[in-house]
Amino acid sequence: MILAVLFANAEGNILIERFHGVPAEERLHWRSFLVKLGADNLKGVKNEELLVACHKSVYIVYTILGDVSIYVVGKDAYDELALSEVIFTITSAVKDVCGKPPTERRFLDKYGRICLCLDEIVWKGYLENTEKDRIKRLIRLKPPTEF
Amino acid sequence: MADSSGTTLMDLITADPTPATSSSSSSTSAPPPSATSSTSLSSTLGKPATEKKSKRATLMQIQNDTISAAKAAVRTNIMPQKQKKKPVSYSQLARSIHELAATSDQRSSQRQLVQHVFPKLAVYNSVDPSLAPSLLMLNQQCEDKSVLRYVYYYLARILSDTGSQGLSSGGGIPTPNWDALADIDAVGGVTRADVVPRIIEQLSAEATNADVEFHARRLQSLKALTYAPSTNSDILSRLYEIVFGILEKVGDPSQKKKKGILGGKGGDKESIIRSNLQYASLSALRRLPLDPGNPAFLHYAVLGISSADPVAVRNALEIVSEIAARDPYAVAMALGKQVQPGGALQDVLHLHDVLARVSLARLCCTISRAKALDERPDIRSQFNSVLYQLLLDPSERVCFEAILCVLGKYDSAERTEERASGWYRLTREILKLPDASSKESSKDKSQKIKRPQPLIKLVMRRLESSFRSFSRPVLHAAARVVQEMGKSRAAAFALGIQDVDEGAHVNTFADASDLNDSDESTHPESIRRTSSVSNGTAGRDTIAGMLASLMEVVRTTVACECVYVRAMVIKALIWMQGPFDSFDELESIIASELSDPAWSAGLLNDVLLTLHARFKASPDMAVTLLEIARIFATKVPGKVDADVLQLLWKTCLVGAGPDGKHKALEAVTIVLDLPPPQPGSMLGLTSVDRVSASDPKSALALQRLVQAAVWFLGENANYAASEYAWESATPPGTALMMLDADKMVAAASSRNPTLAGALTRLQRCAFSGSWEALTTMAIRSGEPFRLQIYEFLHTLAQGGLQSQLSDVHLSNGEDQGASGTGLGVLLSPMIKVLDEMYSAQDDLIKEVRNHDNAKKEWTDDELKKLYETHERLLDLVSLFCYVPRTKYLPLGPISAKLIDIYRTRHNISASTGLSDPAVATGISDLIYESSKTPAAAEPDALDDDLVNAWAANLGDDGLWGNNAPAMNRVNEFLAGAGTDAPEVDEENIISRPSVSYDDMWAKTLLETTELEEDDAKSLGSSSPDSTGSVETSISSHFGGMSYPSLFSSRPNSYGADKASRGSGPSIYEGISSPIREEPPPYSSPGMYRNESFENPLAGTGSRSFESQDDERISSGNPQFGSALYDFTAGGDDELSLTAGEEVEIEYEVDGWFYVKKKRPGRDGKMAGLVPVLYVNQP
Repeated sequence: MILAVLFANAEGNILIERFHGVPAEERLHWRSFLVKLGADNLKGVKNEELLVACHKSVYIVYTILGDVSIYVVGKDAYDELALSEVIFTITSAVKDVCGKPPTERRFLDKYGRICLCLDEIVWKGYLENTEKDRIKRLIRLKPPTEF
Repeated sequence: MADSSGTTLMDLITADPTPATSSSSSSTSAPPPSATSSTSLSSTLGKPATEKKSKRATLMQIQNDTISAAKAAVRTNIMPQKQKKKPVSYSQLARSIHELAATSDQRSSQRQLVQHVFPKLAVYNSVDPSLAPSLLMLNQQCEDKSVLRYVYYYLARILSDTGSQGLSSGGGIPTPNWDALADIDAVGGVTRADVVPRIIEQLSAEATNADVEFHARRLQSLKALTYAPSTNSDILSRLYEIVFGILEKVGDPSQKKKKGILGGKGGDKESIIRSNLQYASLSALRRLPLDPGNPAFLHYAVLGISSADPVAVRNALEIVSEIAARDPYAVAMALGKQVQPGGALQDVLHLHDVLARVSLARLCCTISRAKALDERPDIRSQFNSVLYQLLLDPSERVCFEAILCVLGKYDSAERTEERASGWYRLTREILKLPDASSKESSKDKSQKIKRPQPLIKLVMRRLESSFRSFSRPVLHAAARVVQEMGKSRAAAFALGIQDVDEGAHVNTFADASDLNDSDESTHPESIRRTSSVSNGTAGRDTIAGMLASLMEVVRTTVACECVYVRAMVIKALIWMQGPFDSFDELESIIASELSDPAWSAGLLNDVLLTLHARFKASPDMAVTLLEIARIFATKVPGKVDADVLQLLWKTCLVGAGPDGKHKALEAVTIVLDLPPPQPGSMLGLTSVDRVSASDPKSALALQRLVQAAVWFLGENANYAASEYAWESATPPGTALMMLDADKMVAAASSRNPTLAGALTRLQRCAFSGSWEALTTMAIRSGEPFRLQIYEFLHTLAQGGLQSQLSDVHLSNGEDQGASGTGLGVLLSPMIKVLDEMYSAQDDLIKEVRNHDNAKKEWTDDELKKLYETHERLLDLVSLFCYVPRTKYLPLGPISAKLIDIYRTRHNISASTGLSDPAVATGISDLIYESSKTPAAAEPDALDDDLVNAWAANLGDDGLWGNNAPAMNRVNEFLAGAGTDAPEVDEENIISRPSVSYDDMWAKTLLETTELEEDDAKSLGSSSPDSTGSVETSISSHFGGMSYPSLFSSRPNSYGADKASRGSGPSIYEGISSPIREEPPPYSSPGMYRNESFENPLAGTGSRSFESQDDERISSGNPQFGSALYDFTAGGDDELSLTAGEEVEIEYEVDGWFYVKKKRPGRDGKMAGLVPVLYVNQP
């Protein structure tokens, strides 16, 4: 289960968050935990270099892309490696939408489309589409395989 | 006004510089002509104009403009085409949607929707149900694909919204509880209950629309439908019907698409449509609750494995493997030939989808281990063969999953047998690829591995190469796999699998099987078990040799920068540590790691819990583990959880066996000799200054740890030393004669060095409140220990006598000036109980002598008096600690006979049960006695029974499992639970990377008042030298009788203890305290709302929560407003409003205002939460 996907800017403000199966009262804790994690560790990290953390049996993989840091939290089948797949899909979709590692401005300009991409990538706590082109087709309301 | 929710993210987004404003936004904060007062305020800041600053200025301008513009323009202008200022409030967005939906046929409306309205609406985490009609209208009438895609997105969000206070699974800006608002909503009073059926109706119609033109929309509507609440059985059955309906049409194997065109290129249109539909319906099915009773699931999922769409294959495999966990037999039968060479499962091996292969591994593992298939070894071995092939998978994720499956870890239930056979499999079995492997695979890779390979060799090689990776997730995962390997290995050793001979040369199996290759190639079973050939050669190719070289690589991984990876490596090392290996290396690794401040408390405690788990797996390791735990206690006393550490001590103490007990107790007492604060300064009140100077937080934690150790010693020293008053043979008189202190000490340590050592340690830390522990020991121990303690307490209370006594208690070399400590009051009850015991003993001895001299029998009255004294003393003693009433003789061993005579005469049963004052007063839970009464009544078996009871408890946790907090943590850990949100250390909240504008603002404004107060508060909370915390720590000595003990557990008072700490001057316990649960305000409170664009959505503001509260209250000028509409409170914390009512706005939280009314409303409430949108601010 992918418990959370979270995007934050350099100041630690959350831009997008998607929780699944996380009780409302725990979300605040997750938010601050993740943002703190990023603030502590993401300085000087290269774009898309993956960092890892865990809390109990929950795994966290996070990275930075342009001005935006991306956090993915999962458990069970979504261990650190599966989350790496998820985050890789997300970063490539974001890069695709924004054209390059986004500035915060650019990210916000493309906000709606990024949300749609995320909708195609993570569906009810499971990873769904991973291919860039397929995602691109789906957010334009085209079938996954063109005929 | 409705846009008052002050949402930063929305501000950021609406700051979107349109061409007209973008030029100014990037350079300076120069306000555009329409700038309002707030813009100029920000420019007076005088800070260098960063991009952020200018953004703020632009934002402010836009926001302010929007308010006026929205009033003027949006309402009148149906198509706000060239409008520069975009709507920022939710209600404006909603209105735009309504308006634009009506004109959705126009290009400009479509563009407006796609470019402005929908993206901004995405910022909110839930969508108002009243938007549904417009969305549905768009869905029917609009033809623009981008608009439609958004429409599906939002329809899905309406369906998924559970309506719980605006917090849906979606996240984003919290929005009000729409349903609660709907009753009085000006928009038209639409609730989810109204619209959900309509949405489902329409989406279902689309999902079943077979028109080819409609194909893509069909897929999206199917997807949106899965968000419908699955608790509603009507909706659910409808969804099943739709999904299975589609699958029935497309899943027909006769029309199945051929393989090899996964990308779909060159495929004919019909089959592509079919595979798309199959994909969408299988994906939907995966999200719906699994209905194991419905054979259609399995049927269509198995068909789906052959789908041309890789994602469909993955979903199908996930469904199948989930079903297999419940009914492996049915799944194996349904899969039939798929698993054989050339079958669909073999194709999955080469499918470019990692998660599909992971599911395949799980599926194969489940079936190959299924007991239901014991009759069909052929099937099992086929699946096993696929599983072993996955060990060669290029993806680490898949390979590691396969390793874990081989090791016997595939679900959360940990069964030792399964684990042990997992280790056996790994070390003994051999991978031999099936000869008839599919053509695609017979490329270079299969050439290399054609030769049968021992699994262990493959796995080791793979792990070693993974440890050379630069990717932290890979390192972390590899370390985790090694940890699991250690668990399986420990299980194998625990079960004493005779065949585990790690000196065996693994190639012997491989070579042996190689020779037989030709003979067996026709055999369908490609994996064979071979008996171990132990030739004892140590070297690279023995299991031991390979393990050694792997562990070498693992150890080097502690150089990784990431502390989480290192933690995992240490856990792996702990698990791979054998009970008889030397652990010097591990010890030094841990010791050097712990000096790294990067380790968080949570992570360290995780390692402590690992020690626990390791102990459970191999009780032999108790002493080793205690030594490791000791490193934690000495190196990072401030970070370890004293409760968990204590539990570890205790379990190890019990598990250590008679020989290890002394060592176990030593490990505990070592805590009392902790190096950081020097002896003499560490434990007394005087020491606190010095420790706190370096790190107040850890000083406090250290004190807690010391108290834990003190309590633990008091409770368990007698057990560890096997010294009990009621088993003591020494008559009290003997001890009384040894009043010379030195002799007494000598006698004590020769008699029982363990107890004497503990006693010395406890005496040394008298100022940590060890007197309670000492009293417990005095009561439970025989002589000379009791007398020794008695004298010590006496000295402590009265002072002035120490010169006459041994200087044991003054070993720190300082004159403690006992008379000046003021401890007399605290100590007197404890001294009194000992006094009473001694004087009663004296009396008894006199009486006995008198009777002996006079050759008189004891009269009944005399016996009665004696018995009453006995009972009274028992009651008194029970107030201090648990003693077995049936055996405890406060009057000494000589009273036993007389009391027995009286009891028999008067037919008094020995066990008094509920009349025990300890029960009555609730000091002790007496778990031990209540559940083990038979054992307690059996005089000679007590010690063993204790051990047995505890050993048993360790196994089934029955006695402890449910009420001790630390035990819960251990159990949770062992069970692999872990969804609880992590706690963020207090300092986190302060650690924001940059000092933001509103921080500065807040500082300048509040510096003189609240901040000081806050500082004082936080000082009080964390530095023990403030009077407040001294009080708390003293009080916790008394409240702190909650530590686990072998005699009695008082886990329930643990909470009370905590609470009492929390109720001190601090909220030090941090984020777990209820105050922290409160979500942070999403916009700034009160008066500086306009300035605070920085205000984080995350709410991880730079300020602590308390100070925020203070700011709210202290921000002085209260804001007033009036209710725009009626509002009915939907919860206890909400407040009902009548339109027009005047309110005072205290602060804002998550789109809600906390307001106060002038007079109580109908419900009698004066203050509470109301939606922001319902209040008009002047």
